[in-house]
Amino acid sequence: MRPADPTEKLIKKLRYKASADAHNRVLNKVLQALDNKEKQRSAEVQPSIGRIIMKSPVTKLAVAAAVFIACLISLSLWRTTGSGIALADVLAQIEKISAYQHQGNSTLTNLTEPNAPLKFHYTMLRSQKHGYKKTMPDDPNGTVEYFSMQENALFVVRPKQKEYERIDLPSADARMTSMAQKQYDYYAGGIVKKILGCKYESTGRSIVDGVEVEGFRTTDPNYTSQKRPTQVDVRIWVDVKTRLLVRSEEHLTQGQTIWDFTTHDYHWDIPVESADFKPVIPGGYTRTEKDAFYEFAKMKDLTEENVIQGLRLYADLSGRYPNNVTWMPESQYQWSVFEKSETPAARRLREELKGLMEEEKANRLREALMPMHRINGFYYELRRQKKDRAYYGETVNPKDADKVLMRWKVSDNEYRVIFGDLHAETVTKEKLAELEAALPK
Amino acid sequence: MLEDKILVFRFKRGSRQALCRIYQKYESSLLTLAVNLLAEPSMAEDVLQDVFISFVESVDRFELRGSLKAYLAKCVANRCRDYLRKSKRNRIVSIDDAAEIVSDANEPIQLAILSEELQRVSRALTELPYEQREVVVLHLHGDLKFRAIAQLQQVTVKTVLSRYRYGLNKLRSILNGEVSE
Repeated sequence: MRPADPTEKLIKKLRYKASADAHNRVLNKVLQALDNKEKQRSAEVQPSIGRIIMKSPVTKLAVAAAVFIACLISLSLWRTTGSGIALADVLAQIEKISAYQHQGNSTLTNLTEPNAPLKFHYTMLRSQKHGYKKTMPDDPNGTVEYFSMQENALFVVRPKQKEYERIDLPSADARMTSMAQKQYDYYAGGIVKKILGCKYESTGRSIVDGVEVEGFRTTDPNYTSQKRPTQVDVRIWVDVKTRLLVRSEEHLTQGQTIWDFTTHDYHWDIPVESADFKPVIPGGYTRTEKDAFYEFAKMKDLTEENVIQGLRLYADLSGRYPNNVTWMPESQYQWSVFEKSETPAARRLREELKGLMEEEKANRLREALMPMHRINGFYYELRRQKKDRAYYGETVNPKDADKVLMRWKVSDNEYRVIFGDLHAETVTKEKLAELEAALPK
Repeated sequence: MLEDKILVFRFKRGSRQALCRIYQKYESSLLTLAVNLLAEPSMAEDVLQDVFISFVESVDRFELRGSLKAYLAKCVANRCRDYLRKSKRNRIVSIDDAAEIVSDANEPIQLAILSEELQRVSRALTELPYEQREVVVLHLHGDLKFRAIAQLQQVTVKTVLSRYRYGLNKLRSILNGEVSE
């Protein structure tokens, strides 16, 4: 490469800058354009948060950007409370922090099974520069999740299973991208930012975990991006001295489902190293598919009978079996598959849904389609237990009485098989080989 | 660049922070480009605003291939041409006009370093024919390769290289006092 000559060097040194007024004027107009764009987007159907059992955040790209953004937001959203703490100021403080750690608890309760809530606890270490690391000590697989900014990828490592997942962003699977993005965007500042976009109130001063705090609360449904009606009750408590978060509690109710997310025990501005965020994947670990995100495996009643019931329901509604049982969309989106189906069962359900309000319709659909989700849970569990599972819904239909629809290992020499007509048998390994050889290619 | 990829990825999903960061990161380079192309700071501000609003509006269709800075620089160059066409200002600004521009401390857009030498460079740039000026500033401030500039100007790479060489030679002459108005 030839060296730059003095004239080129001089031109490169030329640097114009906008005055603070000009900078804010242009940026505000650009952000206004983004807000308008977002309003358009919000009219589109958004995927439900129902499938994601809370993960935490990650990232901010640079301290300077964050500080700048906080200043910007403070210009437009600055609102002080009676006691003098402005939430925009809290956000600005959080954005200044390069790394922090906190504990989190997540509980998902389905009101149809109120005594079997799904709970997990995690520890989140988050860095603006490196990404995040989330450890789930109570998880049976000892799961550790990483978001590496260096590699722009999400990693889920399960030491007890000696396996890991890697989702590069943006992923070829838009759903995975969306899922990773939500985890990436969920963090302490994210909660505050969402409250800032809502109607909120101060709940006054108190002591939480030995710290004098001021509380804030919102019940504004705009807190979530959900199109479906969601009841919201979100509270946060902010240290009156440091203006940093001490605790947050989010209580969201959507139809029959209740999410409770709590964050607490924050340690702000802690020293971290890049190695803290490097996924630890020992040699010999297997890279697995994406379905490990699903918590359906923790559902109750994951029995063969219930799987057959779910498969029968799907076939009754559509005349065929699902192509894939590693995941199924939320009930509302699932319904779109059957909405134009002319099977008697689909027509009956369609009649039932007529005239129902949006929330009633969502509840009815969830109730009606729930058996299908047990198929996912059951199938996931088979993988977790390494039962050599297989599913052939793409080629086997309800009329194929002698064809293998789903199978899994029950002993060294035997497999359980659900056939196309949904009867189940235990067969030898040799018999299964014959049956599978006869499957359409 | 990884940071740009992440920023664009997040911006495409509606992140205000990502947009702010992109704006903050490239504001100065793009302003410098626009001021040098238009020789009028107030128009440069409009250009920058239009480019970013357009970027926001078209983000759903946008795919980052190559450098984000180069992409935005091309947008600025295109927008500047539109402005000049509309306002019929596609002319060489006199040194006196340019001097007014850079010396007005109340202007919303200012030279970051007001050294006498840089003021001379800024004025000298406005002396160049538009096509030469565009090549020089797109290459040196927009980080655009000559091939990309050739596509933008719809000429051959050889022509772009000639414009660059002639442009720099003329600048050297102006700065050395060999050319007087």
